Amino acid sequence: MSEDKKKVRIAFFDFACCEGCQLQLTYLNEAFLGVLEHCEIVNFREVISDKSDDYDIAFIEGSITRECDVERLKKIRKNATYIIAYGSCATIGGINGLRRRYTDEEAKEIVYPGREFPLEAGWPRPVHEVVKVDFFLHGCPVNNDEVVLALKSILLGKGYTPPTHAVCVECKLKENVCLFEKGQVCMGPVTRAGCDALCPSWGNTCYGCRGILDNPAEQGQTDLLEKYGYTVDDIKEKFDLYNTCKMEADKNE
Amino acid sequence: MRYVYLEKSDLDKMIQHLKKEHRVVAPVAKENLFVFADVENAEEITLEYLPTILPPKKYFFPPKQVLGEFTMGETKMSSTTVEVEPTVIFAAHTCDIDGMECLHTVFRNDPVDPYYKKIEKEIAVIGYECMFPCDECATCVTMDTHVPKAGYDAMMTDAGDKFIIHINSKKGDALISNNPIFKEVESGTAKEEIKKLRAAKLKKFDVKLKASYSELPGIFADSYDSDVWEGVGKRCVSCGNCTAVCPTCYCFDMYDEVKLDISGGERKRVWDSCQLEEFAEVAGNENFREERSSRQRHRYYRKFDYPVKKYNKFFCTGCGRCTRACMAEISLVETVNDITKENKNV
Repeated sequence: MSEDKKKVRIAFFDFACCEGCQLQLTYLNEAFLGVLEHCEIVNFREVISDKSDDYDIAFIEGSITRECDVERLKKIRKNATYIIAYGSCATIGGINGLRRRYTDEEAKEIVYPGREFPLEAGWPRPVHEVVKVDFFLHGCPVNNDEVVLALKSILLGKGYTPPTHAVCVECKLKENVCLFEKGQVCMGPVTRAGCDALCPSWGNTCYGCRGILDNPAEQGQTDLLEKYGYTVDDIKEKFDLYNTCKMEADKNE
Repeated sequence: MRYVYLEKSDLDKMIQHLKKEHRVVAPVAKENLFVFADVENAEEITLEYLPTILPPKKYFFPPKQVLGEFTMGETKMSSTTVEVEPTVIFAAHTCDIDGMECLHTVFRNDPVDPYYKKIEKEIAVIGYECMFPCDECATCVTMDTHVPKAGYDAMMTDAGDKFIIHINSKKGDALISNNPIFKEVESGTAKEEIKKLRAAKLKKFDVKLKASYSELPGIFADSYDSDVWEGVGKRCVSCGNCTAVCPTCYCFDMYDEVKLDISGGERKRVWDSCQLEEFAEVAGNENFREERSSRQRHRYYRKFDYPVKKYNKFFCTGCGRCTRACMAEISLVETVNDITKENKNV
C-alpha cells in the first residue's frame, strides 16, 4: 500500500453557520501541517476549491435546517465512515436554535423586516437529530486543542468522548474568582467543560456554548441560582442563547 | 533547632535573600481572594490572608504534569522528565503545612511516587503563623492545625515590630543564615516570647465543630448510613470545587497524549475529582458512586475515616476551603455537626 493510500480522507461540510469553526482550523498553523501527515483533506470550502465524495471522516459544521439540507446530510452519512458534529451549531443547534422560539412569519419579520421574497427559514436541528453522529466537538467556536486531541485519538482508533463535567472544574484550577461571587450570572455550573474555562478566565461569563450537562443536578442548580437571587426563568435567555434546541427537546420529553 | 529575629522592615531583604537561589512563591491578592504566585518582592505579598483559592499542593503535585515520554512500538517509558527549580513556599499557613504532611504521607509511602519525590526535595516551606482566626468556615482548632507543630523548614511568628523565626530543618538552617538581617536569639527567650503571643492568640480562636478530635473517628464509623448524606447529595452540583481546593485531595487521572506525527507521545497526569460522575465509572457501564450523595459521603470519609485507619491521620486540615468554594453552600461545619448531633442523640 502506498503512503498516499494510507492517509485518512477528511471532508468538511458546512450547513447553517458562520463557518467560524472551519476558520479555527486554519489557526492551527504547524499543528495543521502535522495533521496533514496522516490526513488528506478532500473537501474544505474555506481553504480549497476541489470537491470529492470519497472520504472517511466528515466534519459537519452548522445546524440542519431545510429539507434539502437533510437530504445532503443523509448522503454524507452514507459516504462517511465517521461523522463528527463540529461546533455548537452542529452539536447542540447553537445560536440557530433561537429560531425555534418563533413561527416562520415572525422569524422572517425579525430578520428581514418588510422584505417580500420567498424565504425558506427551515427548522434548526443539531446534526444528531437527523443522522447518527459518531463524535462531538463542542464549542462556539471549537477549541483547537480539543480538535487536535480528538482527531489524533480518532486516528488512533480510540475515538473521543468530550468531558461530562462542568466548566467550574476547569475554572477553579485556573484560580478564577467565581463570577457568581462578583454578582454575575455564569452558565459554568451547568455547561460541559473542555474549553479550559476560556471565557471566565478572560473576564467574560460562560455562555453555555458547549451545551448543558448530560446530568445536571436539578435541585442543586436551582438552589444555586436562588442563593444568588435568581430563578431559572430569570436567566432563561442565558439558557436559550445556545441551548434552545435542548431546552425544547427536554420540554417535549 | 534555632531561633532568629527579623525586623519587619527587613522583610523585603529576606525575600531578596531567598530569591538569590530560589524561586519564591507567596500569597498574593487576586481580586477579593488570594492565590499562591511567584513574587519579586515583599510588597506583592499579603501576609494576612484568607486561605488561597488553591492550596500550595499545586507546587508539589501540579494540576497537569508531564511524567515522561514514550515511543510508539516500544513498551518502555522514558525516565521522568519532571523538572523543578528550587522553590520556597513563603508564608504558608499551618493548616496548609498539615496538608503538605498529608500529601507527603501518601506519596512518600510505598510505593513511592518518583515524580512527587523529585519535586518535594526541591521545595522549602517557610510558614507564617495565623494570629487571628480567618472566618466561620475554618475548623483548624478541632483539627489541631492552628498552631505550628511540624512539617515546616522555618516558621515566622508576628511579634509586633519583628518576626520570630523558628528554624526547624537543615533546609531551613541553610536558608535563614548568612545575612545580618537574621539576628540570632537565645532559644529560651524566643520560646518564652512565642508562648505569650500564643496564649493571647488562642483566646481568639473558636471551636466550631461539636465533636472533638478524638470523637470524630467514632462518629464517622457510625454515620455511613446517615440521612445527612442524602441531603448533601441533593444540594451538590458536582462542580468539583471542593476537591480541587482541598489541600489533601490527591486523586489523579493519567492519559497518553500522542504527538501529531503519531511517532510517540507524552504521559500526563491531571487532577481528578471523586465528585465527578465519571470518576467511579468502570467497564460494563457500571458506576460505583453514581449518586451525588454517595460521592459526597465518599469525600468526607476520605477525610475523616479511611486515612485515619490507613495512616492514623485526619486528612481534613480545617482550612475551610471546601465550604468557601462550594457552589451549593455545602458546609463541612454543618455536615459534620449534623452527623455529630445524630450520633449523640442516639
